Amino acid sequence: MKASKMVGRAGKAAFLTMTMSLALLVTACGSNSAAGTPSSNQTASTTSPTQTANTESEPTPKSDKLTVYVAGPGKMAAQIKEGFEAKTGIKIEQFDGTTGKILARLEAEKSNPVADVVILASWPSGLSLKEQGLTQSYAEAQHADKLYDTWVDQDKHLFGYSASALGITYNTKLVSNPPADWADLTKPEWKGAVNIPDPSLSGSALDFISGYLNENGDGGWTLFKSLKANDVALAGANKEALDPVITGAKSVVMAGVDYMAYEAMAKGEQIDITYPASGTVINPRPAMIMKDAKNLENAKLFMDYLLSDEAQKIVADSYLLPGRTDIPAHESRTQVKEIKELKYDWNWMTEKGPAITSEFLGIFK
Amino acid sequence: MKPSTSARINRSWGVALALVLMTLLVVTPLLFILHTSVTPNDQWNVLAPLQVIMDAELSVVLTNSIILGFWVVAGASILALPMSFLTAKTSLARHKWLDVVLIIPFMTPPYIGSMGWMLFMQRRGFLEQMAPFTEELTPYFFSLFGMVAIMSLHLFPFLYLILRNALHRIGAGYEEAGAVYGGGFVYRFRRIFVPLLLGSYAMGALLVFVKTIAEFGTPATFGRKIGYHVLTSEIHRFTSSWPIDFSKATALASVLLATCLVFWYGQNLISRRYDYQTLGGKGSKVKLIHLKGWGRFTAWGYIVFLLATSIGIPYFSILVASLQKLRGDGLRWGNFTLEHYQNLLTWGSPGMEALLNSLGLALITATIAVVIGTFLAMQIKHASRVSERVTDVFSLLPNTVPGIVTVVGLILLWNAPWMPIKIYNTYGMVVLTYVVLFLPYTVQYVKSGYQQIDASLTNAGRVFGGTPWYTFRRVVLPLLVPGMMAGWMMTFTISIRELVASLMILPPSMKVSATYIYAQFEQGEVSLGMAMAVISVGLTTIVLAVMNYRGADRT
Repeated sequence: MKASKMVGRAGKAAFLTMTMSLALLVTACGSNSAAGTPSSNQTASTTSPTQTANTESEPTPKSDKLTVYVAGPGKMAAQIKEGFEAKTGIKIEQFDGTTGKILARLEAEKSNPVADVVILASWPSGLSLKEQGLTQSYAEAQHADKLYDTWVDQDKHLFGYSASALGITYNTKLVSNPPADWADLTKPEWKGAVNIPDPSLSGSALDFISGYLNENGDGGWTLFKSLKANDVALAGANKEALDPVITGAKSVVMAGVDYMAYEAMAKGEQIDITYPASGTVINPRPAMIMKDAKNLENAKLFMDYLLSDEAQKIVADSYLLPGRTDIPAHESRTQVKEIKELKYDWNWMTEKGPAITSEFLGIFK
Repeated sequence: MKPSTSARINRSWGVALALVLMTLLVVTPLLFILHTSVTPNDQWNVLAPLQVIMDAELSVVLTNSIILGFWVVAGASILALPMSFLTAKTSLARHKWLDVVLIIPFMTPPYIGSMGWMLFMQRRGFLEQMAPFTEELTPYFFSLFGMVAIMSLHLFPFLYLILRNALHRIGAGYEEAGAVYGGGFVYRFRRIFVPLLLGSYAMGALLVFVKTIAEFGTPATFGRKIGYHVLTSEIHRFTSSWPIDFSKATALASVLLATCLVFWYGQNLISRRYDYQTLGGKGSKVKLIHLKGWGRFTAWGYIVFLLATSIGIPYFSILVASLQKLRGDGLRWGNFTLEHYQNLLTWGSPGMEALLNSLGLALITATIAVVIGTFLAMQIKHASRVSERVTDVFSLLPNTVPGIVTVVGLILLWNAPWMPIKIYNTYGMVVLTYVVLFLPYTVQYVKSGYQQIDASLTNAGRVFGGTPWYTFRRVVLPLLVPGMMAGWMMTFTISIRELVASLMILPPSMKVSATYIYAQFEQGEVSLGMAMAVISVGLTTIVLAVMNYRGADRT
């Protein structure tokens, strides 16, 4: 008696789950197939009536989407995305990653490219994408003439809409006498207390390493070897390298991006940053339109937006260096003119980048 | 009574469909890895994966994995043996809640647990803040020892449950028989206990070993920090961090696959060799050792130690980190805030989006997996025919093969240039991957339920004129519901926490809670990540508890 009642109740429940699952299955399949078709096809079919008129003038179907791959900082990227969406009504599909992850993703998607605009944190990495023929020129970009001379390439493929300088960030509770130069960090007092971001993940760290080698020649490797001998730790991307310094697990992060330090300082964390006497690298972050961009018009609009007053203001407020000379950086940070730079050549760095990465990792792993 | 021809045809169609489905979803991706790794220059070379690994000086990665596996087996054994003895053979057996609590470490996603340990042990971490004199000791934790400790604390419950059940089954009768025939304690231990326990132990140990070398979370967080690279973390690096190298990744993946299969085979052999029938018709009574005085004290001390290290420390760190205002200020009154939770739970925030994505994916995955899994389980039946046995093996394959290997295979297959079904980089791909990975749970649960249904029940249904569909709906299905529910629940919880597949196959703009936590640790704010960890673990625990409660209510 009891058993039959139980079965009856369970039966009802089972029927319910069954119908529910079926319903879900159907909707799931629906969404799958919708997501599965390339976006351009779909939008083409829905907008075809309005589009027939101007097919000849505009071969690429107008879409309301744009796919952007951006290498941090996450908060700034989100603000720019929001600003652009509000202004144009175009929806951005955004992938946030590190330079290394974005390059990997582009490589993996070579047969089915997805990205329209790619923003990296390393200029040489951008140049190498250009050399591989993966990017395209946008000569009419608005405000491009106001960028720092070296922050845009001659063919107008790469636009350095923002930049960061690499410095030595230290915990003020632990360090009263900050190191004045890179070489100081090889001294015994810093043994085991220093982090450096992993150049295979952090494009800016790679730029510092190759920039330093560019100025110092092969002799520059001595610095990195003695740093390793002094137990400098390779610590993921920038944030991962900085976080232990904030908590006090490490004292110093070398060749970390400066804006992160300023941001943490503004929050009240007890750290500070110094730029080494012998000079450092300022690395502009290139934004590029991809060759296979499916939403080319939107990509151009996005590029214009990146260089507009509004977006440049967002850059400045995020403690990065704005790409335009007429927009000052945040008043609480060091300005471009005040930072001493190493002598380096982007082309040399682009060419040597991969070899330097593997040699560096060989020393540090 | 012979089933009618049409029913038989129906049945063989079912098995055929199941086989095709499994071949497509599970077997082909794995074959793709093997094929890619043995044909590096479009030429067959079975040893190519090994050569790639030797040439690239990656052999250390393989040995690292194996060394880690052995140490973790040792560590988990040390932790699990005394515990299982205590709850199976002593008066502590009546504390049933221990069994439930000891599942928690196993259910904690390893990447979250590792992060908790790192926050606790690092220089000027929580331990040093509470007890500054430990400053001398904490650096030693960031070594292979720490990694083994973290992974053992995560995996020991597994071994514990197996051992406890085995010990439980060894009734007092065997011991008494030994004593009656004059065997001393040591003799009885050596000749009765050990052989009876060995089979179960070997099985549990091998499972722990395979789980260790297949584990991604701890190597990706703790292992990377101490520079201890293993197969899984290197596969991930070669597929997702520049410069990528798919040939190395597939070579490593096929080596990992082979290693796991060898150990599974070994486990099979051992469990067949040491299989004793200890479950007789006679009720077995268990003689419990009554603990008192120092024994009791030591036992409880051990339990407290185990719970503190496996649950207390990681969760303490996670909770505190999620509540910290300034990371640099450490443990200090006034440095606590709920702001991170508020930030996460604000509608439309990236955290909330990730959480909703996770929930949505988990719901869809669990539901599809239950439907397919139930279908498969019903085709497997009693696994008496070859086709049924093959279906059985195929459907459990994703649980045997390390998750990262399956994922690499799925990527190779679905991202191939010739692939006509373009679901790579879409929501559908994520669902597909999750379903493939978690199908074995439903299959297992439903299968065990299905195999217990006596044929007389369906026969009775048929005798009384029920159509096959009617008998299925009114007789079989209701009996399968508990298994389906368990499968659904398991898939749901695991999908919410899945890390490795999510890291590798999510479409560009999508985040789920696991990748959100990982990204916060890597790029963003640790406090936000830890708040997300608390929420996602809390949520799944609530789901489990509710479902458990409702399940308990029904029986």
